Amino acid sequence: MTQMLDQLEAARKLALNDGTHYPKILPGVLPIIGANSNANIELRRWGADFLAEAFASPTWSPEMKEALVLRVAAGAGSALLEALKEYLEVVQDRAVIKSAILTAATIYPMMYKHTIADPNDSHNWQLMQAIKMNILQRMDAAPSGVRICCVKFVQQVVLTQTPGHVDPRRPDPNDISLAILPRNHALLPYGNLEAEGHGLLDRMLDIIHGDHSDALLVTAVLNTLGILLQRRPIASSKILNSVLNFNPLKLANSPMTPKNRVIMKSLERTTRALLFNFMKRNPEGPLTGRIQQYLERMHRMRIDVFDESSRKRPAPAEPTDGLDPAKRQRLRANVPAASAVVPVPAPAPPPATTLPPGPVTYRQLFTLNPDAGIANFDVQTFKDPEQLVMLTVHLLQMIDEAQMTNAINVVRSRYLSLSTTASGAPAASAPAPLPPPVVDDEEDYEPDFEPEDAEQVANSLDSLPPPGTVELPSNSLAPYKLPEAPPLTEQEIRHYGEVSVREAFRMLSSTEDKDKGKTNKTGFNRLAASDYGRDAWITILSRLATRASAGLDDPNEGIKDEFAVKNIKGGVSISDSVRDGLYTYIMYDWRKRIDVAISWLTEEWYNDTILTQSAKIAAKTSNLNGNSASSASGPKGNYERCALRLIDGMLPFVEHTDKILLRFISELPKLDHEILARLIKMSEDPERIDLSCKVLQYLYMFRPPVRSVVVDVLSELWTVNHRARPSAGKLLKHYRPDFAALEEANGTNVGGDGGEVKAEIVNGTAQ
Amino acid sequence: MSADPRLRSRAAAQQQQPTAVPPPPPPPPSDPPPMGLDGAADASSAKPENAVDPRSSLRFCTVCASNQNRSMEAHLQLASANLPTISFGTGSLVRLPGPSITQPNVYQFNSTTYRQIHQELSQQNTQLYTANGLLNMLGRNLNIKGFPERFQDWVPGKSRLNDHKDDQGAVGTESGVVDVVITCEERCFDAVLEDLHNKGGKLNRPVHVFNVDIRDNHEEALVGGKAILDLALSLNEAAAKEKAVHGDNGWDRGSGSARDGFDERVPEILATWQGRWPNLPALWSLAWI
Repeated sequence: MTQMLDQLEAARKLALNDGTHYPKILPGVLPIIGANSNANIELRRWGADFLAEAFASPTWSPEMKEALVLRVAAGAGSALLEALKEYLEVVQDRAVIKSAILTAATIYPMMYKHTIADPNDSHNWQLMQAIKMNILQRMDAAPSGVRICCVKFVQQVVLTQTPGHVDPRRPDPNDISLAILPRNHALLPYGNLEAEGHGLLDRMLDIIHGDHSDALLVTAVLNTLGILLQRRPIASSKILNSVLNFNPLKLANSPMTPKNRVIMKSLERTTRALLFNFMKRNPEGPLTGRIQQYLERMHRMRIDVFDESSRKRPAPAEPTDGLDPAKRQRLRANVPAASAVVPVPAPAPPPATTLPPGPVTYRQLFTLNPDAGIANFDVQTFKDPEQLVMLTVHLLQMIDEAQMTNAINVVRSRYLSLSTTASGAPAASAPAPLPPPVVDDEEDYEPDFEPEDAEQVANSLDSLPPPGTVELPSNSLAPYKLPEAPPLTEQEIRHYGEVSVREAFRMLSSTEDKDKGKTNKTGFNRLAASDYGRDAWITILSRLATRASAGLDDPNEGIKDEFAVKNIKGGVSISDSVRDGLYTYIMYDWRKRIDVAISWLTEEWYNDTILTQSAKIAAKTSNLNGNSASSASGPKGNYERCALRLIDGMLPFVEHTDKILLRFISELPKLDHEILARLIKMSEDPERIDLSCKVLQYLYMFRPPVRSVVVDVLSELWTVNHRARPSAGKLLKHYRPDFAALEEANGTNVGGDGGEVKAEIVNGTAQ
Repeated sequence: MSADPRLRSRAAAQQQQPTAVPPPPPPPPSDPPPMGLDGAADASSAKPENAVDPRSSLRFCTVCASNQNRSMEAHLQLASANLPTISFGTGSLVRLPGPSITQPNVYQFNSTTYRQIHQELSQQNTQLYTANGLLNMLGRNLNIKGFPERFQDWVPGKSRLNDHKDDQGAVGTESGVVDVVITCEERCFDAVLEDLHNKGGKLNRPVHVFNVDIRDNHEEALVGGKAILDLALSLNEAAAKEKAVHGDNGWDRGSGSARDGFDERVPEILATWQGRWPNLPALWSLAWI
């Protein structure tokens, strides 16, 4: 027998060396190991292993395997299937059965494909069906070691009997699925197979929700799901939903044995690997969010279970329905206290003498100490009446008489105030302040005693001195109002205004550091001042400067000057202090803060424009009213003033290389002669002549509306400044056609100047 | 010397390593390495009664990140105990420490041999790599097998008869199939499970995947290797017991642990093992290759 095994082993080595030998070797081996061969257990084990290995081997092509399955199946009297069937039905050795099931798992798709191609071969398909039945029967009863093999077989059946590729334009010839089965196949009814596939998938998924102490089976199922998710998108959502409802830490409630620990950790890891694998394949999948949530939750749960299990005691076993008397006062907020206990005086706090407005219960009436712990004390906690009696007697002896009378007086005064407020109500003598929210049964008998109580109280009231002596506290609190602050003086207003402006600028400089390098380009969708960054503050501040007080000026200010009390005297308005702030802020680092300057000046200009428009309208109406047309010229704008101030502030610092000036001037919302005339001033520095010419040239090219102004300024520059003539002249020649004549006229005028020589040369070349 | 070949081989391995420390010359290129001479890996030598027969044993696979330190130490110990063993790394590249932490030495899997790496490093800085034990480790590795292999590139079921027949622990692994995978780090465990999903379980074979968390240094690798050997022997024993049970002894009518085969007992074996090695946290999963 060992000799035979050695021979078989040699044959196996041959096949291992080169997979193409399998078709030659298998037919020879099968009679020895197969059905009716009377082989012993050793041989059968070897045979079953060999079959499993042979058909699973990747070293020979699936086509060859299929051909061989057919050849062996048809030619040699279905030897292969018979052998498997016998292994499963006759041989009672676990190793053989396992290998046989695994071989069947490999062969099933091949037989399926074969049967599709050959609908007449019902014999072999029936054999396969018998094998399948045998295996499925073992699914539930067999030991787990065998069941995992059944799971693998079932996975292959599911894989085979669910529709494969979703896209029919890209069929995968190697993918054996329901998609290759014609609907009208004689032997394989499409509907039945599909239903069976779904049913078996459900059976597999049921396993992971079952008993987790059998981790072998559960991890085996989880690890078979990967390929199903990957290759059967149709089933994937069902599988995923099932997995996402899977709780790997189910065993956390059972005793934490070393085995359970290992199992739980392993289940969690296995699930994680499966889901990660799926997410890597479908990063955009609709379930990705849910999967991530699930994984995070699992992670936290795992930490909870494993890191705290040693420290944390389990919750005590106790009824949670409130039967435990010790818990009772916490579970229910509104437990009535028997009035008998109330006289137990609380030593320290003076009893609250007021009652809440509205209907009042007896309990509230008699409750002097608002402490919740005492107020909710339930006398029923004393199960033994004797004990209670003893306690009461002792307590009664210890009562301080003064306190007792005091308490009684409080209750009396309460009652009095109640009865006076309720006197208006009809039939007030029957006090029926039934506590509606209380559902407890003890409350039921209380109304029976009420009349008596009321009578008693009334009786005791009779003996009291007239009610006027008792000072009644007010019933309700009025809503509290803060006292109104005294009005601020002008100076204070100005002072606080300045402080807040300064504060705002401080904030501005602090945000500046944070915003470095942060460029958010929201474009036109940007909402002004929505992000509290530097730009937002700039917007806020420049609008504060321009718009806040706009239109508040008295339009007739100019006329009534003499009567105007010196309310503006000595101080600038708040807008101007903001403007000052902005000015200093910009000048502090003007090269970098050109954008601030632009946006501020733009705001100024915009505000001026708006004001002018409204002034025009106002002027119209006021004309109709016969009012004086004093303001027809419109309010004096701030733009001009601010722009000039800024430019004047900057010019001393402008270097001849500062192209930023070019940007600044060109972006100003409104240019006029006065502003541009500053460039002539700047040109007095010979170094900066070129710069101002560049600015003017740029303006001429890109701001057509100001062309005439530019040309005027240029010619002015040409006339005034001799050194600037070459540059200015060059430009003027292009911009002003009649320049040549002018130039000649001027050229003779100013001879002998240093700059004139150059100019003449230039002119010479130009002519 | 002890009669147990496992102990002998381990002793030999430990003695042999210091001899590889003297820097420049790498161990002789002769194919039967000095370690093989002790007969531990040689099935033909006289076997004590409890020796493992590699033909009927479980087949093992050890995995770490670079297939250099932990998996190779375990590979050596398992192979020396006559257990069929192959080994892999799950990293994208073989990474070994370099002159500084930012300059690791990086090599390709499956093509760069241990011998080449050894030569290159000893040329680079013999003193440094002797001091940190790299040359010693590589000297050991080149006696075990030819080159580091990457787990993700492994084709299960592809015969290893030709390419790897001289590797230690090759006997029994000819079919390119294993029953047990033991990883040395949780990251590798995850990578193995994930890659097995990608491979798709085409062979329809169950495989037990274990993780034994070992820190990546020489000392821990040695201890971890012993722990892995312990685990492997326990598993193999259980598997052998199942095989010894012949035929119909009523397993499908029995109940409780009486009907438990090898697969069912694995969690228990692991739990017991964890009790013996509490400092090496373990994980396990039944996967498919």
